[in-house]
Amino acid sequence: MNVSDLQTVATNLVLYLALACFLVVAARNAISVFQLIVAAWVFATRIRPGKNSVELWQRYGDLALPVSVIAPAFNEELSIVNSVKALLALEYPHHEVIVVNDGSKDDTLGTLIRDFDMEACNRTQIATLQKTAILGTWRSRRYPNLLVIDKENGRKADAANAGIGFARTPLVCVIDADSIIESDGLLRAAEPFMHDNGQLMAVGGTIRIANDCEIEGGSIRKIGVAKALVPRFQIVEYLRAFLSCRVANAHTNTLMLISGAFGMFRRDVLIEIGGYRHDTVGEDLELVVRIHRYMREQRRKYAIKFVPDVVCWTEAPANLAGLKGQRARWQQGALETLQRHRKMIFNPRYGRIGMIGMPQLILEDVIGPPSEIIGYFVVPAAILLGVLDPMMALAFLGLTVLFGTGLSLGSLALEEVQLRRTPNARDLSRIGEAALFENFGFRQVNLLYRLRGIRSFFRSDTRWEGVPRAGFGKPDL
Amino acid sequence: MIAVHIFWISAAMASGMAALFGVLLFRRWREEAKARKAGDVLAAITRSYLRRVAGQLDNEASPAWTVDQRLAVVSHIRLLLRGGERDRLMQMAELDGLLRATLRKSRSWRAARRVDTIRQLQQFGSEACIARLREIFTSDRVGAVRLEAAFALASIKALPPPRETIRILGMFQRKSTRLDSALLRSSAPHYVDQLNLLLADPLPHAKRALIIDALGWSEDPSVLPTLERASRTDNPELRSAALRAAAKLGHPSAAEWVIDLLSDPVAFVRIQAVNSCAALGLRDAIPDLHRLMEDQDIWVRLRSEQALDVLEYEWPSDGLKGLVA
Repeated sequence: MNVSDLQTVATNLVLYLALACFLVVAARNAISVFQLIVAAWVFATRIRPGKNSVELWQRYGDLALPVSVIAPAFNEELSIVNSVKALLALEYPHHEVIVVNDGSKDDTLGTLIRDFDMEACNRTQIATLQKTAILGTWRSRRYPNLLVIDKENGRKADAANAGIGFARTPLVCVIDADSIIESDGLLRAAEPFMHDNGQLMAVGGTIRIANDCEIEGGSIRKIGVAKALVPRFQIVEYLRAFLSCRVANAHTNTLMLISGAFGMFRRDVLIEIGGYRHDTVGEDLELVVRIHRYMREQRRKYAIKFVPDVVCWTEAPANLAGLKGQRARWQQGALETLQRHRKMIFNPRYGRIGMIGMPQLILEDVIGPPSEIIGYFVVPAAILLGVLDPMMALAFLGLTVLFGTGLSLGSLALEEVQLRRTPNARDLSRIGEAALFENFGFRQVNLLYRLRGIRSFFRSDTRWEGVPRAGFGKPDL
Repeated sequence: MIAVHIFWISAAMASGMAALFGVLLFRRWREEAKARKAGDVLAAITRSYLRRVAGQLDNEASPAWTVDQRLAVVSHIRLLLRGGERDRLMQMAELDGLLRATLRKSRSWRAARRVDTIRQLQQFGSEACIARLREIFTSDRVGAVRLEAAFALASIKALPPPRETIRILGMFQRKSTRLDSALLRSSAPHYVDQLNLLLADPLPHAKRALIIDALGWSEDPSVLPTLERASRTDNPELRSAALRAAAKLGHPSAAEWVIDLLSDPVAFVRIQAVNSCAALGLRDAIPDLHRLMEDQDIWVRLRSEQALDVLEYEWPSDGLKGLVA
């Protein structure tokens, strides 16, 4: 093989790589457009939850299945009292709040004991799902529906498992310590269980970003839109993910993820499958995929649903440093899940999860991010080498940047028409502005962070990189 | 050539979405600009209705007020009024043609729109509304809309007798949901006799249990002998339903057979019996509950622990005790 042959091989390689990247990006966009259309259809035809159902539930409150809200807490001394008060005040006929103190190094436990008049109790653990030791259980003399579990430090998955093991209600709602649940969020999420004839396993709901919202007593007092660009870009991402992807995936029975910030599950199923896994950084995705796998292997009829209404607010990383860790972790978690459940991929035994859901995860999380990044380099290279029409660069730009902008604006339009949780026109325009500019820089930076996650996956990095957050301000005095 | 097409398709898609978003943004901005004026109009409509409800002279009414504005006001102040005043308000709304507009909307081709209208008809609650709700309940092509109409009828105490409700919703032809149970329970105070008659039908045990359960919501102690008979049957679902119903009725005369069922051979019946003892405040059951703390079924043990918490623990108030029960 001479130099000329090598040159030809290299040129062809660049050409085929460029075309492959192009095809992957086009496939991702085609799926996104399909999801947007399905989501628009779902929103247009859905029956909106009205006041009446709430009135009815109050009247026949005993029909709403009791729920245990499991809130893992680690070093939350300053905010735990307000958070727990807000959880206790949720509108729901029968709910218990289980706070799991995950080996906090500050005085989280002491604060809870003092502020809620708690006494030690011997609460029986129904299932031992956690890996670490339980140090004690505490109950409140003033709030009979409050239980605190004190345990050695594990991770969120371990703390949530401990809570699930102590829950006695048919449903459990697992949240993040910094999740702010809408006052009627539990009711909305539990509504599908009212219509259920025994097949529903889990329900997810829309999560919104709470940065720059006014928070008082652990509840949202006034909705705001983040002033900083990084959280504002994430508002657009969340709208796209929740209002378009998840709504469409749930409609086509291929919902693969219920966010760790808020998810409602049937307790018995979680116990059957052993709860959250401890050896992955993407435990929320892994859990839902495992539910699918378990149910299909058992040949049991089941459903996993999604309510498009806002059920929960969460604080997003306020800067790129925080975002870097979060996105790398999400990416690594997705790859770990895919590796663990690779048997399901394109396996007809797992129905549409194996044939559609898992391949879609591969496209989105395995080949999608590197393809786009590589595309930014090899498409111009192929043009410079004269093997690709220069118009292809324009087409690639169109598919990535323009299409992405269109999809973001489409999701924002869905939000405005259907949910209308943006406070005013000015804030709406600011989110629109973020949707326009998100594809010029932020999108690409995000891809780089995801590549970092891919690297962590190949290094089998099991470290949990905390996401620095600004917090929701000082606690109320 | 394909590349050019792809670019233009992408650009068209982005421009289309940008235009749509622009329209929505403009709409929101215009609404906000008009909000103050609209607020004044809504306040004027509110004053007008309140005057008319009180029988006072109303000079403020304007033909420029739209049906939607009037409906919004009526929906809002309806929640603030009670008894005769509320009835008069709904009469005024009907006289103003709001009901006619709502009835027209109830024939929309969109199920979601029909459900919105059902909610409005429920607010009016007049004979015409009930008639339309019954029509939707019996003949709408979408099951979810029929169910919504059923709940609207239930909330204004106009649900047809249970046998009809069961037939129309096909309750006995499919697996029951908690909503079926809710509808039967809401029928119970008005149709105790019909529910008793239903029990004479040859029904599968699961469906019979639904009826037994609903009897507990009848607020009528005369159903207690029926519940007691159900508690003595061979079927555990029926025994469990009888216990749930007895707990809801809260009548102390059920104590004897409720306590007997603490020794039931089926675990979920024992669990229900434990719950019922706690709900009825049966302190006579305490020795049995202590015995059940050694039960082989973990859930029986847990519920017994919880029941003893209610019956023995010194809660600061009865309200807190009730929360645990």
